[in-house]
Amino acid sequence: MSTAVTILTVLVVEDDQLVRMHGIGVLEEAGFQVIEADNADVALEILDRGVPVTLLFSDIAMPGSMDGLELVRVVHERWPSVRLLLTSGHHRLMEGEAPEAVRFVRKPWNSESLVGHVRELVNS
Amino acid sequence: MSEWRHHAPEAGAQITNGLDFEDLFENAPCGYLVADGDGRLLRTNRTFAEWIGLDPRDLPGMRMTELLTVPGKIFYETHFAPTLRMRGRLSEIALDFVTADQRKIPALVNAVESSGGTEAGPQLRFTVFPAVKRRGYEQDLIDARAKAEATIVTERADGELREQFIAVLGHDLRNPLASITSGIQMLAKESLSERGQKITALMNGSVVRAAGLIDNVLDFARGRLGGGITLSLSSREPLEPVLRQVVAELRSVSPGREIAARYELPDPVTCDHVRIGQLLSNLLGNALTHGAKDQPVRIDATTAHGELIIAVSNGGAPIPAAALEKLFQPFFRGHDRVRQGLGLGLHIASEIARAHGGTLIARSDEVATTFVFTMPLCGVGADQK
Repeated sequence: MSTAVTILTVLVVEDDQLVRMHGIGVLEEAGFQVIEADNADVALEILDRGVPVTLLFSDIAMPGSMDGLELVRVVHERWPSVRLLLTSGHHRLMEGEAPEAVRFVRKPWNSESLVGHVRELVNS
Repeated sequence: MSEWRHHAPEAGAQITNGLDFEDLFENAPCGYLVADGDGRLLRTNRTFAEWIGLDPRDLPGMRMTELLTVPGKIFYETHFAPTLRMRGRLSEIALDFVTADQRKIPALVNAVESSGGTEAGPQLRFTVFPAVKRRGYEQDLIDARAKAEATIVTERADGELREQFIAVLGHDLRNPLASITSGIQMLAKESLSERGQKITALMNGSVVRAAGLIDNVLDFARGRLGGGITLSLSSREPLEPVLRQVVAELRSVSPGREIAARYELPDPVTCDHVRIGQLLSNLLGNALTHGAKDQPVRIDATTAHGELIIAVSNGGAPIPAAALEKLFQPFFRGHDRVRQGLGLGLHIASEIARAHGGTLIARSDEVATTFVFTMPLCGVGADQK
């Protein structure tokens, strides 16, 4: 008798290396498989390659051709099954600014709140 | 050009009741001009001729418009003459005359159209008062108004620039702070010595304080520049985890302090969760800074009778009544200036309370100093979103 194990993959998009390392550490410790990107363009390349991603966790203000808000709009349109979680220390997500499915966690997040948001989203 | 000179009456002048009307006309303290219905001059007095620098005998036959500046000519033909024809009289009209040596004389002109008692048709009569000073004052007023308006525009632009500057500064400071926070939290998971653990805890405390200061400064700047406290209202998410996180954060950076919290929040609250967290953080930070170190800080968060109530109290010396009144003013820092930061925390807390349609009050006696925040559970309505 075999048990199917679903691997949940989180794509972390964050330009700050320390914050990205921290996010990856917290999520891996919580049992997720984690892929990283330091900007939106790299994140889209990963998704374009067909890498299965359960949840995209992205910073809003990032260098590159688009910010996190634009990234979640594109991802929501092209890969509607990917769950979306945004974060920012400065920007506050206002109603109507991002697709309704997008959740927001404020920076600096702690490990409990990040894992809590991610678990809720992947279980929804 | 406001001077005028009196000339001796001419020989043979007609005198009636002791008044020499010829002299009254010629040497009047204003310019007199008489023209036919088409504005061709019939006669002008000596006063006007002197002002204009022409011989009075050369003026008859000239057109009124020949004596005016170019804008004056246009105004005379398009407005002055038609209005005079229509109404029969005009007063205090500003016109600029040109002298023989091409100087401009700003003047105020009164005019009447009179039948003139002749068969030649109506007569136009003008009195001219030089108004160099008055028109100068008027121009000064116009210039001053333009300058004041320009200053307002500049100040507004400066204000917007300042707001943008503060926003960018706040943003740019938060990013490295988030980075440091991540670094500290990762380090804290390493096996550190006791001293290492203490150092990371202290660093974390500094980061939390710095983040709070940035929040308050940004909110204060927004409030001062008209943006006010912006709310993102929601009743979907529970408030308790937000409050618990704030308490945990401040507890972790206040070793040795007792913080006793009680939560009774069965009802949903329509509020901006992040803002209410910020309000509690400011009140709790204030209590930890000013309360007696050997006495606990108590937090009581409850929903009852349609209201959310969050009370934060600390022991220690009571706040004098005079200071109590000023607590919520920006930059108020009481008597202890060294360890109190900018003095914006309580001000921002009261602004957050106000934005939620709630109140924040302070009371202080020998037993405790307590801040009580109260707001309606249903929030402030959708228009405040």
